Amino acid sequence: MTAIIEVDNLTKSYGSKRGIAGVSFQVQEGEVFGFLGPNGAGKTTTIRTLMALIRADSGTATIAGLDCWKQSLEIKRLVGYMPGEPALDPNLTGGQILEYFAHLRGGVDQAYLKQLIERFELDTSRKFRQYSTGNKRKVVLIQAFMHRPRLLILDEPTSGLDPLNQQEFDHMVIEARDEGRTVFLSSHVLSEVEKTCTRVGIIRDGSLVRIGDVAEVKAIKRYEITITFANPVPAETFKSLAGVADVETLDHGHAVRLAMQGSADAVIKAAAHYSVVSLTSYEPSLEDIFLRYYEDDVAPAKEVQSVAK
Amino acid sequence: MWLSSVFLKTLRDYRIAILGWGIGMGLVVVSPMASVAALVTTPQARQQLVSIAATFAWNADPVAVDTIGGYATFKIGIFMFLICVWPLLAGSRMLRGEEDRGSLDVLLSLPRPRLNVALEKLAAMWTALLVMGLLIGLLAFAGGKKFGGDFDLAGALFFGLNLALVCAVFGGLALLISQFTQERGPAAGWTAGLLLVFIVLDMVHRVVANGEWISRLSPIYYYNLSKPLVPSYGVNAGAMVVLLALAAIVSAAAVWLFVRRDVGGTVPLPRWLRLPERQASRALPVGDWSLRSVYTRSMGMIALPTFWWTLGIAGFAGWMVYVVQLMEARLSSLLSSSPAFTALIKNLGGSDVGINAGFLSAMFVFLPLLLMAFAVTQVSSWSADEQDGRLELVLAAPQARASVLLGRFAALATATVAIGVVTLLASAVAAAAAGLSLNGGNLAAATLGMIPLGLLIAAIGYLASGWLRTAAETGLLSFVLAGWFFLSFIGPELKLPDATLRLSAFYYYGTPLLHGLQLTSELGVLAVAALALGLGTLRFARKDIGV
Repeated sequence: MTAIIEVDNLTKSYGSKRGIAGVSFQVQEGEVFGFLGPNGAGKTTTIRTLMALIRADSGTATIAGLDCWKQSLEIKRLVGYMPGEPALDPNLTGGQILEYFAHLRGGVDQAYLKQLIERFELDTSRKFRQYSTGNKRKVVLIQAFMHRPRLLILDEPTSGLDPLNQQEFDHMVIEARDEGRTVFLSSHVLSEVEKTCTRVGIIRDGSLVRIGDVAEVKAIKRYEITITFANPVPAETFKSLAGVADVETLDHGHAVRLAMQGSADAVIKAAAHYSVVSLTSYEPSLEDIFLRYYEDDVAPAKEVQSVAK
Repeated sequence: MWLSSVFLKTLRDYRIAILGWGIGMGLVVVSPMASVAALVTTPQARQQLVSIAATFAWNADPVAVDTIGGYATFKIGIFMFLICVWPLLAGSRMLRGEEDRGSLDVLLSLPRPRLNVALEKLAAMWTALLVMGLLIGLLAFAGGKKFGGDFDLAGALFFGLNLALVCAVFGGLALLISQFTQERGPAAGWTAGLLLVFIVLDMVHRVVANGEWISRLSPIYYYNLSKPLVPSYGVNAGAMVVLLALAAIVSAAAVWLFVRRDVGGTVPLPRWLRLPERQASRALPVGDWSLRSVYTRSMGMIALPTFWWTLGIAGFAGWMVYVVQLMEARLSSLLSSSPAFTALIKNLGGSDVGINAGFLSAMFVFLPLLLMAFAVTQVSSWSADEQDGRLELVLAAPQARASVLLGRFAALATATVAIGVVTLLASAVAAAAAGLSLNGGNLAAATLGMIPLGLLIAAIGYLASGWLRTAAETGLLSFVLAGWFFLSFIGPELKLPDATLRLSAFYYYGTPLLHGLQLTSELGVLAVAALALGLGTLRFARKDIGV
């Protein structure tokens, strides 16, 4: 496989405000790459630099060997783009917007476009301003896919979509991958990128802190289980179990909150010895994970190097 | 403190409007005071002014127009539509605008009755109108003192209050109509339409005998019953109470409907008034010409505003051409007895010979000003599109940045040319209808010659948008426009050097109705416009979008 996106030491700041600093990564042609990071980490800045909407202060970014700034017109022919906060002419209908962008792109297969509209069950007769958040995103998602681009760059694409449409989106990403196309999508939800991505990069405070296969990154994923018992249960029962990172006793021993990493099998089996009133599992946000995982502010560059080796 | 209640927060949002609109409208009241003082220097001039005002009696009551207060009241009557613009915009935005933005959902999620929220917002608008009325009254009083008006402070304050009351009626009406519309734009549009209808209804009794009962249906009629700046006419307390009652009734109805309807929804209309149910569709508008390119899309966007501005500019030109013949005798007398007015016409029109052409030439200076104001609104819309992220997806399509900007500019240029051509046709038709003999070449130069000025301010706007945000850019362009007009309007009287006068774009427009096309000057303006556009395009091609 060859790299379709190559980013080397990319830096962008907004006056005195941080954007991204020294970001480097590659995305191979045909893969689905997840770009993860908490809000304000620098995901959108990276994507907007790739789309030549902003110009990097230093470093290089190429798509299909073309310079993202100097050869942006050629690049845009290859790319389908979905911005994080789609803003379109509020007085145009969804149908007019799609038709307009089809003309601006040229060569859009109308039959395929209609197929996408059907697939997302989009009512094209409503004005953009009248759409719900989810329907607005559907319009923008369809315009990103409608010309069957070689590369899809999608900034938080599923935000605002209902579960059924999220599922439809996942299918479309998998179809694109199966057709040999590349997908670069950003998200701040780890479980979301797990479903479709083969590799992920994690950005925090403008710097890439980790890049690798999804399985590698999963290792940092933590979640919490809270079990409420009919009678008090000693915390020691769970402390030494596999997958348990931390135990906290609640409600005078009637409940325990377990910080988990890995399989919950041992915990479930241990809890089954007691009378369980309820069991809830909670996946913390990426910010929470980062706060824990990087709480001592380990130098990010060092970590990237270690994964890259 | 300003964020401690809905009332104070809303009032805080109005602070710039209060100052801007209050002082602006106050100056609109004061400026005719300055001109009437210069106009009525002799008994003949006084008589002619009364006579000319009588020509416009269909529009506003010409009561004691040879006095400072009477003339200001008369002029404000003509500009009633302008005065009511802010309240109708504020009324339509007050609740519906917040619903459009989604901010009302958050506000109504607070443990605070919906009625209180609406009443506090309404109270803020009324307070804002009262403060504006106070500012207008104080400025009118200061103007009266400066130019020798015979009204007192109470009269000036009642004048401001009368204006605030009629504004409150239209603000309340816009608020009421917005309960029936899904968006704020149509509410403002419907209210503006009603305002025009009411202005026309008010005119009826001045031109139709026994038509007073029709005029009584209009709030403007009750506004005109009070003339506090004319001490002999005074305040009609009953009429002011009617205005207050009308404002209270429409506002109360609006609030009553608001607390009963869905937030984000509308008050259901009777079945016979409802539009047909829209069927959901998956169709695409394949044959829509306006979606074929950035240029055609821009034409689609600019079409409606162009229509209205054309109506205004061409209508103004046609009307002036039509009435100038009718006013010739009175103007001649006024010019001969008023050196100040003669100087004014000379500065604007370029000559004091040939009354018709000289006066028309002075009036035609307003045409490029209006056309440039149109261009400023369109440049602001381009700048707002970038600022609000609406260009992002267009620029993510394989379209060169330069072609996106130039496509948009080309649409504006097309609209500018169309306005110029329609204005030429309207003026020619009006001249033929009035039997006025005008040099065809000069008329073409006067109407088509304003096109380069429109293009110039547009190009400067596109260049400025490379650095400035919408509000700053619009402010800068308005300032430039006002500065240029001031240089050409007042500059010669102030004996400013020719080099300074040349800084104004109007200098290069000249007086084409009298002296024909100044080809070199117009080409120079076009060259500067092309340079500004070129630099603006270069800047846009290199800048960070939406930052």
